[in-house]
Amino acid sequence: MSRRGWAGAGIGGLFLFLPLLGVDDYYLHLLIMAGLFFLLAAGMNLLLAAGQLNLGHTAFFGIGAYASGLLALHFGLTPLLTMPLAAAFTALVGVAVGRLTLKLRGAYFVLVTTGFAEVIRLVATNWMDLTQGPMGLAGVPPFDLGTARWTLQSKRDYYYFMALLAAGTLYLTARLLGSRVGRALAAIRSNEGLAESSGISAYRHTMLAMVVACGLAGVAGAFYAHYITFLSPELFGFHNTVTMAVMVVAGGQGVVLGPAVGALVFTFVPELLRMAAFYRMLLYGVILLLVVMFMPKGLVHYFRLRAGAPIPDAAHDEAMAALGVDDAGGARGGPALAVRDVTVRFGGLAAVEGLSLELGRGEILALIGPNGAGKSTAFNVITGFQPPDRGRVELDGAPITGLPPYRIAERRLVRMFQRTSVFAEARAFDNVLTACHRLSRTSLGQVIAATAAARRDERDLAARARAILDFVGLGAKADVLARNLSCGEQRLLGLAIALGPAPSVLLLDEPAAGLNAVETVGLMRLIADLRARGVSVLLVEHDMKLVMGLCDRIVVLNYGQKIAEGTPAEIQRHPEVIRAYLGSDETLAHA
Amino acid sequence: MIAELVQHLVNGLIVGGGYALMGIGLTLIFGIMRVVNFAHGELYMLGAFFLYTLFSLAGLNFFVSSALAVLGVGVVGAVIERLVLRRLRDQPIEIPMLATVALSVIIQNAAILLWDPSPKTIKHVFSPVPFTLGPVHMVWIRVFAGAMAVALIVSSHLLIQRTRIGRAMRATFQDTDMARLTGVDVDRVYMFTFAFGAALAGASGALLGAVFWVYPAMGDLAALKSFAVVIMGGLGNFLGAIVGGLLLGVSESLGAGYVSSGYKDAIGFVLIIILLLWRPQGLFGKKSVPR
Repeated sequence: MSRRGWAGAGIGGLFLFLPLLGVDDYYLHLLIMAGLFFLLAAGMNLLLAAGQLNLGHTAFFGIGAYASGLLALHFGLTPLLTMPLAAAFTALVGVAVGRLTLKLRGAYFVLVTTGFAEVIRLVATNWMDLTQGPMGLAGVPPFDLGTARWTLQSKRDYYYFMALLAAGTLYLTARLLGSRVGRALAAIRSNEGLAESSGISAYRHTMLAMVVACGLAGVAGAFYAHYITFLSPELFGFHNTVTMAVMVVAGGQGVVLGPAVGALVFTFVPELLRMAAFYRMLLYGVILLLVVMFMPKGLVHYFRLRAGAPIPDAAHDEAMAALGVDDAGGARGGPALAVRDVTVRFGGLAAVEGLSLELGRGEILALIGPNGAGKSTAFNVITGFQPPDRGRVELDGAPITGLPPYRIAERRLVRMFQRTSVFAEARAFDNVLTACHRLSRTSLGQVIAATAAARRDERDLAARARAILDFVGLGAKADVLARNLSCGEQRLLGLAIALGPAPSVLLLDEPAAGLNAVETVGLMRLIADLRARGVSVLLVEHDMKLVMGLCDRIVVLNYGQKIAEGTPAEIQRHPEVIRAYLGSDETLAHA
Repeated sequence: MIAELVQHLVNGLIVGGGYALMGIGLTLIFGIMRVVNFAHGELYMLGAFFLYTLFSLAGLNFFVSSALAVLGVGVVGAVIERLVLRRLRDQPIEIPMLATVALSVIIQNAAILLWDPSPKTIKHVFSPVPFTLGPVHMVWIRVFAGAMAVALIVSSHLLIQRTRIGRAMRATFQDTDMARLTGVDVDRVYMFTFAFGAALAGASGALLGAVFWVYPAMGDLAALKSFAVVIMGGLGNFLGAIVGGLLLGVSESLGAGYVSSGYKDAIGFVLIIILLLWRPQGLFGKKSVPR
């Protein structure tokens, strides 16, 4: 067992034997509350991993508590049954709220969820028939295991029950954050556009995080209801959410153990402050402020508990071979990609007007034209970032117009962005591993259960990511954070990310921008190599040496319209192209 | 019937003026500094307590006290920006946000210690006897509050559009780096923005505090309502905050009058839920297209 394994086992054992060491009931109660808040903070942490801070999380805690309490009170159901029912109901509410709010980003999401909790608090206060309003709901039965004979009574009973729930939560969040789900969430937070174009659905993953978080909150609420046996609208108070958020941030957000450490520390700190009597809350506020200001990365950060997944050694042949295209669509014939009569207008201005082009299988086609000719807009239409006002896009003969970017990536059309676009805070290896997302063959259940298939799947993806890094020549930089790479290396990493989802059609938006002459030659070789492996390439580029030396055909845009199409030799002589570029009769060959 | 409706509308507009002031402060702070100010309600509360202290306790002139109260909250805002927010500028959005949450806990509990938690009234200089204007019954303090809200909104607009610091604020709003390159002292703009936003919240608190009650927790609901206002109007949108504020004031007044007073405080967020169903990306939200 590793050192970390021993440490974990030791701490787990300590928690297991604490009640037997004659620990006071008061401290057991605090530990139970710490566990309760861990369930809540762990859920919040999942959603925050994708950059969404739910400051209404306590609403779900309260909904779970009332649901379980009311079911037990009115229908006489055993809490063994009402707890899962309450969790399911809370998760359902989470789906409904998520559908409304997950499209919102950043501050909007924070403010709307804050308001949601407040509305629910008002409902709990005013819906007297259901909740007895501010008087609260008394007499909720204690937890039992199916019959009244097996009722949890002592603090020790509840302590062990909570220990079980907390261990389960720890396992669940560790599996989620340590798998492709966690990589996807971090990718969404880091660079949503890039995540989507790599085949990761931001909506689906944030929704998954939301559902798990709300389910956990429902379990926590049900536990609270039968442990405390009294419920009031206070449960929905903003201070509860603040406590959870502080635990996540002070513990260490995005890290599995962060919320656990935060929950322990910030359950005991306010208790210690009881000595300060009147000044307690004031001091609490000051401590919060100091923590946020001076430890924004959280306590866990100082213990280096976050180690990346191991990077496999240099790629073996199998993974290298998988870089090619098996060309399933090739049998059907016809172009790999077809753009038909596409028009995009911004206000009165047509950025692209009536554009049609076809990209043959295994072809390299360049889209050139002066700045503002509509090249990037055309790319955005093809990859689903910009719906066209008119026209359609077909991939292997099937329409893809209007599909979201991640669906288009799933159909093996992937782009590289014009601006350098990487997941800056992750290692180069993890950047590519993240982009291999869509190739994972295991279900969410298998990922959570950590089955042999899931582990094999992770190994295959890692080998593939390594092979891609070697292919673009970044093998030696696999464990370097993307933001620490040079500009040229970041461009290559951008290409590696685009190769992650195994594209059959690759769109490159000015791939040579920012590269020096040597690097450009290297890039040309890579693109030619990709074509040899069956990938069709559409690229926008200003570097004419690259365009003329590499491309089979060229399409020229000016003011949103196609003005010429042909082989490099034809384009160099085309009078209208020369006029558009130079406004004179000089030939492009000299440009 | 009509008289009652008009009465509700007028009451709603006056309260809405206060909400608009809160909202403008919040929206300016977010638009320029990218900070969601969760201490906004406490700055509102401070405005009311400064007025209470200067006027009711120290016996200064009512109008002088009001002006000093607003200035005082502005100074508190400047101090917060300098000591806390400036150090957190490079952190992800949730960090300065949680710092303002901590500040709200500190300020509210300091207020409890300084002034005790019991609600207080400000016995202002206006006659408490209502007068009638057509169908509407009104007291002078409300007229004063409404007029001051309008005056402050108009002067904020002029400040942003016509002055040097206003131009610097607009430049920073559009592009902080560009503004810095063209010689704008961004640090000063940030400090001024937060102080100015705080002062507007304080003004709102002083005005509505004189109309209603003054107590340390009065900012909680006010903050939530200003959140509703800026979501409706769009974060960073000046006109949106005014429209949102008035809309919220009027719908609350109508809702309390005709539907249920218990749910009055939820109306803002019910409006937002309807808005989100109608426009999922938010009222003024635009989808950005990557390059």
